[in-house]
Amino acid sequence: MNEFASFMYYILPIILMNMAPLALVALGGLYTEKSGVINIALEGIMVMGAFTSVYAAILFTGWFAGMSIQIVVLIGLLIGALLGTIFSLTHAFASIHMKSNQIISATALNLFAVAFAVFTARTIYGHRRLPFTETTMIREVPFLSSVPIIGPVFFTNAYLSTYIIVLIFAASMVILYKTKLGLRLRSCGEHPQAAESLGVNVYKIRYIGVLASGALAGMGGAAYAFTFQRQFGGEVFGFGFLALAVMISGQWRPMRILLVALFFSFMRLLATQSDSFPGLNQLNLPSQLYRMLPYVATLVVLAFTSKKSQAPRAAGEPYDSGKR
Amino acid sequence: MEIVVNMQGITKEFPGVIANDKVDFDLRQGEIHALLGENGAGKSTLMSVLFGLFHPDEGSISIRGEEVRINSPRDATKLGIGMVHQHFKLVHNFTVAQNIILGEEDTKNGLLTMEKSIDKIRKLSELYKLKVDPYAKIEDISVGQQQRVEILKMLYREADILILDEPTAVLTPQEIDELIKILKSLAQEGKSIILITHKLKEIKMAADRCTVLRLGKKIGTVNVKKTTNEELAEMMVGREISFTIDKKKAEAGEVVLKVERLCVHSDRSKRDVVKEMGFEVRKGEILCIAGIEGNGQTELVEALTGLRPISGGSVVLNGKDITHASIRERSLAGMAHVPEDRQRHGLVLDYPLEYNLILQQYFAPPFQKKGFLQFAPIRSYAEKLIDAFDIRTGKGAIALARNMSGGNQQKAIIAREMSRHTDLLIAVQPTRGLDVGAIEYIHDLLVSQRDEGKAVLLISLDLYEVMSLSDRIVVIYEGENVGEFDPASVTERELGLYMSGSKRREAS
Amino acid sequence: MKDLWTKTLERIGRSPTRIEATSSVMAIVCGLLFGLALMLIVNPLEAFPGFFTVITGPFQEGLRSLGNMFYFGVPIILTGLSVAFAFKTGLFNIGATGQLTMGALTAVYIGVNWGFLGPFHWVVAVLGAMLAGALWGAIPGLLKAFRNVHEVVTSIMLNYVAMYFNTMIIMNFLYDFQASRTAHPLPSARLPVLFLQNIFPGSRINIGIFIAVFFVAITHILLKKTTFGYELKATGFSRDASRYAGMNEKRNIVLAMVIAGAISGVAGAMMYLIPGRHLPYETILITEGFTGIAIALLGLSAPIGVMLAGLFYGALHQGGTYLQLYDFRPEIIDIIIAVIIYFSALSLFLQKIVKTFIDKRTKASMGLSEEVETR
Repeated sequence: MNEFASFMYYILPIILMNMAPLALVALGGLYTEKSGVINIALEGIMVMGAFTSVYAAILFTGWFAGMSIQIVVLIGLLIGALLGTIFSLTHAFASIHMKSNQIISATALNLFAVAFAVFTARTIYGHRRLPFTETTMIREVPFLSSVPIIGPVFFTNAYLSTYIIVLIFAASMVILYKTKLGLRLRSCGEHPQAAESLGVNVYKIRYIGVLASGALAGMGGAAYAFTFQRQFGGEVFGFGFLALAVMISGQWRPMRILLVALFFSFMRLLATQSDSFPGLNQLNLPSQLYRMLPYVATLVVLAFTSKKSQAPRAAGEPYDSGKR
Repeated sequence: MEIVVNMQGITKEFPGVIANDKVDFDLRQGEIHALLGENGAGKSTLMSVLFGLFHPDEGSISIRGEEVRINSPRDATKLGIGMVHQHFKLVHNFTVAQNIILGEEDTKNGLLTMEKSIDKIRKLSELYKLKVDPYAKIEDISVGQQQRVEILKMLYREADILILDEPTAVLTPQEIDELIKILKSLAQEGKSIILITHKLKEIKMAADRCTVLRLGKKIGTVNVKKTTNEELAEMMVGREISFTIDKKKAEAGEVVLKVERLCVHSDRSKRDVVKEMGFEVRKGEILCIAGIEGNGQTELVEALTGLRPISGGSVVLNGKDITHASIRERSLAGMAHVPEDRQRHGLVLDYPLEYNLILQQYFAPPFQKKGFLQFAPIRSYAEKLIDAFDIRTGKGAIALARNMSGGNQQKAIIAREMSRHTDLLIAVQPTRGLDVGAIEYIHDLLVSQRDEGKAVLLISLDLYEVMSLSDRIVVIYEGENVGEFDPASVTERELGLYMSGSKRREAS
Repeated sequence: MKDLWTKTLERIGRSPTRIEATSSVMAIVCGLLFGLALMLIVNPLEAFPGFFTVITGPFQEGLRSLGNMFYFGVPIILTGLSVAFAFKTGLFNIGATGQLTMGALTAVYIGVNWGFLGPFHWVVAVLGAMLAGALWGAIPGLLKAFRNVHEVVTSIMLNYVAMYFNTMIIMNFLYDFQASRTAHPLPSARLPVLFLQNIFPGSRINIGIFIAVFFVAITHILLKKTTFGYELKATGFSRDASRYAGMNEKRNIVLAMVIAGAISGVAGAMMYLIPGRHLPYETILITEGFTGIAIALLGLSAPIGVMLAGLFYGALHQGGTYLQLYDFRPEIIDIIIAVIIYFSALSLFLQKIVKTFIDKRTKASMGLSEEVETR
């Protein structure tokens, strides 16, 4: 029993760590799609968020040698969100104002982000990986980590970003379903003509949706960099697209997104921690097979959930004020 | 009588067409004023200007004596103007209450106060006798109820000037009566109502005055009680209109299409939308299936043409069982189809006209040989049809379907379907959205097809079209055949009763 | 001179295709300018000479660099074709990278292990690549046709699956431990160079250019002249209308993805059945798949346009190889390409600008009114 408990106490924090950024980026995707804009540039926005946040962290730890690492993380998350917002402005501009093909402009952003991150890293440091080596993990939260069961799971070996993400999720549930803004946002994604005829400024709302997703995806990228990678090298390996799949499988609902994110992070976990799972290390499968698992699992899940899609009806169609 | 709305010299141009040409229009307090005109006459444009959806190029608007600029629906709403559009602007998965408060939400500390809003809605609903369930989702309620939601939307925003755009298009005769009662009581409460329509009968029933527009110009404003239908029609069209179709008596031959106990299941509504439907269509006759929109006609046609699977019963065409045949097989077996949604199903809008005209035949010689398209035969066939059916485009056979007018698009589809050598022609709402001239033309075509011996299955929502074109009528209600009639011996009112389910004939 | 300018504008304005092409050119110019601006920020002194080198790349060393332009252009033309072909059917083949990877892997595997095939070795390797790519394209096609799954997400997932699969196979079957890299295909599997060395001495050009042109021709004929092409385009334009017309849209979607995948698979073979280049065993995505998207857009999804755009890319890339001399990182080229794609996305807007510009200039000098639509 004790072995199982210690295994769980080891595994669960890791699952949470995996799950949080994934859920956050998926939530970001939710914001734009609910407002009517498809945003497959989550990958690129994550890259920009990750890059700028790690770079900022390097700068801050350089300038303020004694600064607590958690404050650095906090600053990094905020900067990541900020850059994500600015970067997604280009997508917003193209899709909403210019009424361009939303998939194409998003692809451009993805390509640009990676190229930019690698180019800038190489120019400044000579190679693509940013030299940030400190760990951001919180070993133990004072008081709370001693609480039985909850303590070891949620308050040991945890990350600041996870807590922030939980708060954002809770806030989003309220915003989306209990506020004026949320109602208007959702109406723009389902029937923008109806919203406009009632005086809702569809353009403004869609901008808000896209920028919100930029902030969340940017912060998600920062969270990713601070928890997974640290030595960020310009790529997030399809994490942003995985988040998109989470959003679709979660049928565009926040609670479901959390569940699906949990499932997917569990899959990822099998890939990276296969040797700690009792029994698995005996199969001696190549590590790449495990790494493929989340992606294959996504395919399978999508194959079974896409028939009755609950996508926002007007998502992906550029809104033209003059059309009746 | 106070004048609440005064529009003077309104002009609005779109590329290539003048939608409103120096139009004057005024509305008195407490009146129901009809705006009459054919499709493209400019009625919707004029009202869109009033509602702030368009800016006029010239002209002025005064509300209750004061000159105003209406730049957006918000401005219009603030002035007390509300508009119910022909295609409802309701969010399908929001509740009635959410749809009503959207844009005008009550909040406390940033959060929506739904109970307070629903209370307001209930009070309004009682006051004006517009019964709705605030918690119901739009996708679950009937069309008539949805219309009430639209009206409540206006009243919730304290509108005094109500504009309704073709409100009766989707209602049964009984629902139309109810609506007119509601409108009259609203007028008595001091609301001023503008009714956009091209239905002379309703104008007679409901309106006090009527303004007629034609081709963007105002023809005149008349007192409805002192004007005859014929006079109104002449003003609308500019020439004398005959209200009857010249038609020889039908000489029906053998059965071409036999439908027996047809059942069609819908996954969305989780029930059979067509239940044990049965009827026959013979050579040389026009059978019309009449019914209110949403009673299974669409699904019936989809099932007959193969766009939707059949869950029970059989369809036999010329003796051949095509119940489970593919769309292509049915087409080749002798079925032609003029679809309901001409732009979505009937044409590939981004293809040139000539490609669209061979849409059902591109895989057969002479249009293809060994897999390669034969361009010369395609071109000559297109030119033949353009000539025969008077299809007008900017560039002839190479014009993109997208750039053709609605009437010409429909002519192209009809040309294509009628020129194929088929025994059965299924036409769904073939004249929807077309002007009187085009309607006349298409009606003549349908009758001539019948006279040539084709079997024509017509689906129509327009009772006038149903009564004048068909040789036999079948009424569909909730997916069932509730009666077969001879148009010569049944009245519109009676048909309305069957269409609304109030009556049904026992199956013979 | 002004007259000639007006006449040219008029000729462009008359044809929608020409307006589209002009907006492509504008997108390219914008991308290049962005690149120039970036270069100025990073290294102002070297920016202009560096930029000049980039745009005159293919001519820096005469025929040798010209030949290299063709060499660099080949895989991109093919991936561009793949994406363009799918576009025509209304599908977004963002999975070109995965298809290319599977094709390359298959080609290299055959190249390393099937030496017994002798003179047919390279042909079989290319065919194997084509088959692998076709298979990899079939999966998103099937999922879209039968389960209504958006092909973008499935293709992206498959890109990553292919990436890991590639590493897995190489590390277990194709690794050269002594040289610390992927094993090399046998010389009999290499793409023949034929007489091309005589025309473009010193360059890396090979038969690939002919294969690329072959596929350009085939897709062009297929799309424009066959009933299959008629069906594919109809399905791309209007899925509803094509169903109404009795077209088997499920079959068409799958076939279109299979063909697109096959072409990307061939691209993979073109990239690695050559001396001196080794299939990467690291888990990174091969970028040529994504560049193909840019080329497809620039080429307006038309096979011939794609070929021209692909050659343009080859020229740009060739210019980029000289950038190291000016102390710039070659990623600038990728940034330029990304910006070009972004501006192609704005193409509708750009076309409007072009059209109004042309209308103003031509109307002013001719004083005629534009054509009125017939009702």
